[in-house]
Amino acid sequence: MKRRRFLAAGGACCAGLATNNAWAQAITEYAAPHRFDRPDLATDEGGLWALMDREEKALRRSPLVVRDEKLKTYVQDIACRLGSDHCPDIRTFLVRTPLFNASMAPNGMMQIWTGLLLRVENEAQLAAVIGHEIGHYLQRHSVERLRDIKSKTAFGQVLGLFGLVGALGQIAVAASAFAYGREHERDADRIGAFLMHRAGYDVTESAKVWNNLLQETTAREGKEPEQTAPLFATHPAPPERRDDLVQLAKSLPGGKAGGEAYAERTRPFLDGWLQDEVKRGQYAESLVLLSRHIAGGVAPELMRYYRGEVYRLRGQEGDQDLALADYRTSALNPNPPPPVFRGIGLISRQRGQREEALQALSRYLELAPEAPDSAFIKTYISELSS
Amino acid sequence: MNKMFLIALALFVAGCATVKKVESGSNMVSEHLSINIEGNWNHLDFPGIKPAQVWTMEGVTVDEFLIYSGIQGGQVMHPENASSSKLKNFVFRSAMQTEEIVSLLEGVLSRDNSTFKLLKLEPYPFGGKKGFRFEYERIRKVDNVQLRGIGFGAVDKGELYALLYHAPRLTFFPRHQARVEAIAKTALIR
Repeated sequence: MKRRRFLAAGGACCAGLATNNAWAQAITEYAAPHRFDRPDLATDEGGLWALMDREEKALRRSPLVVRDEKLKTYVQDIACRLGSDHCPDIRTFLVRTPLFNASMAPNGMMQIWTGLLLRVENEAQLAAVIGHEIGHYLQRHSVERLRDIKSKTAFGQVLGLFGLVGALGQIAVAASAFAYGREHERDADRIGAFLMHRAGYDVTESAKVWNNLLQETTAREGKEPEQTAPLFATHPAPPERRDDLVQLAKSLPGGKAGGEAYAERTRPFLDGWLQDEVKRGQYAESLVLLSRHIAGGVAPELMRYYRGEVYRLRGQEGDQDLALADYRTSALNPNPPPPVFRGIGLISRQRGQREEALQALSRYLELAPEAPDSAFIKTYISELSS
Repeated sequence: MNKMFLIALALFVAGCATVKKVESGSNMVSEHLSINIEGNWNHLDFPGIKPAQVWTMEGVTVDEFLIYSGIQGGQVMHPENASSSKLKNFVFRSAMQTEEIVSLLEGVLSRDNSTFKLLKLEPYPFGGKKGFRFEYERIRKVDNVQLRGIGFGAVDKGELYALLYHAPRLTFFPRHQARVEAIAKTALIR
């Protein structure tokens, strides 16, 4: 088996996909398996663990891993509350990548990307994703998936000997593999909801995670995700899954959202995560995300600034006005981000509003004299002053 | 861009890619851009690699020297063979200001989820035009290598001309930085 596919099987099960109404039934009990012993290296599962160990070793050295101990401990503690007896086996890594993703390998290595941390609004939403991943882990889905892919690949290769028939066979194998994953996702959602509830989190927040993601994806594509993405097309419609999570939550009432704690712990990192988000250039998605956080009162001065940046960089008709409005609102805060004044200055300069440009750019350099673009901004100020 | 290199390697193995030696001396990179180089470079070429020319000193998975020459308004900045991806298409607009062009290049270099941090942006006469120079660092997502880079650019008659060079920060970037700075000084936009 190719290493990439093997790894995909091991690390897979990203916060994922799937549902139908039949599975959205109450889950009030779940007997988690005992802690897993390291499998024999001679077995396929042992080989998978060994590969994941190697990946983990590389990950530990990666400059993309967030090293902040407080944040790491905070997230690890949430994972421990959810994993309960399995806590000692779960090792959480926060990885600087601006996309919504989390995964858990069979050896206990969990990766959570900063794009996910930027998108969830409270502890319960983060717990929903972590709980889902722990659900995959407890059920050893990656091992099942590996074995399934192995057997289907072998079958497909046999079919491949027969030309067109072989090609059709490959398609059938692929479709089957997706369907198989769907069952795992259902399991993981249900177990994750149970773990959330047991750990004292509000399960209704899990549907919100999915709904928020759905809104972003729809904004980017201009269509429902299942109409554009092949992967979505092979899975039940995302709105269906969101609705089923709502139903599931009804059987597991109560619990906390943990919004304040989450905001406090993540606040120091938002600026960096937002910089990475804007660089993606997925402006429609970013606007949905930032507008949601502005509506929710999350770090308004930062969110306004970065929404202004998105408008300015998108550069469509009317975007400069929208950018200026956001910059100016942000600037009213007691401690606005210095680049707010850079944004005001750059747009004013383009519009020939000399005085406002000069004032704003000067203010920017007052607040951030060591800014990387200070030399360039000084030439603008010099031009505007002459 | 690193994905492109992996594709390049695969194509090279398959016989679709070519690597040409670029000799020391004056080189017409395109109809409108000439540069003077010291030392020999390798020019990697394969279908879909445009709009940038990709040169390398140490090898395609180590360092990259990207040469953009005469990018027109509305033109996509990343390799043509990546346009069908669901990722963002970064498009140059002729009316872009310097800071917008740098943001555009940031986007191109972060498109594979590598990180990008701007370290310095300053005015710089490039190609005989009023231009800019910038320094940056990246962490390449595919292999977690920390890179340092420099870039130069200018817009002439609504078209973008730019040079970008990045390499692993500890050994290779310091080894070739002066060489690239010298190339940028000799650039001439006609």
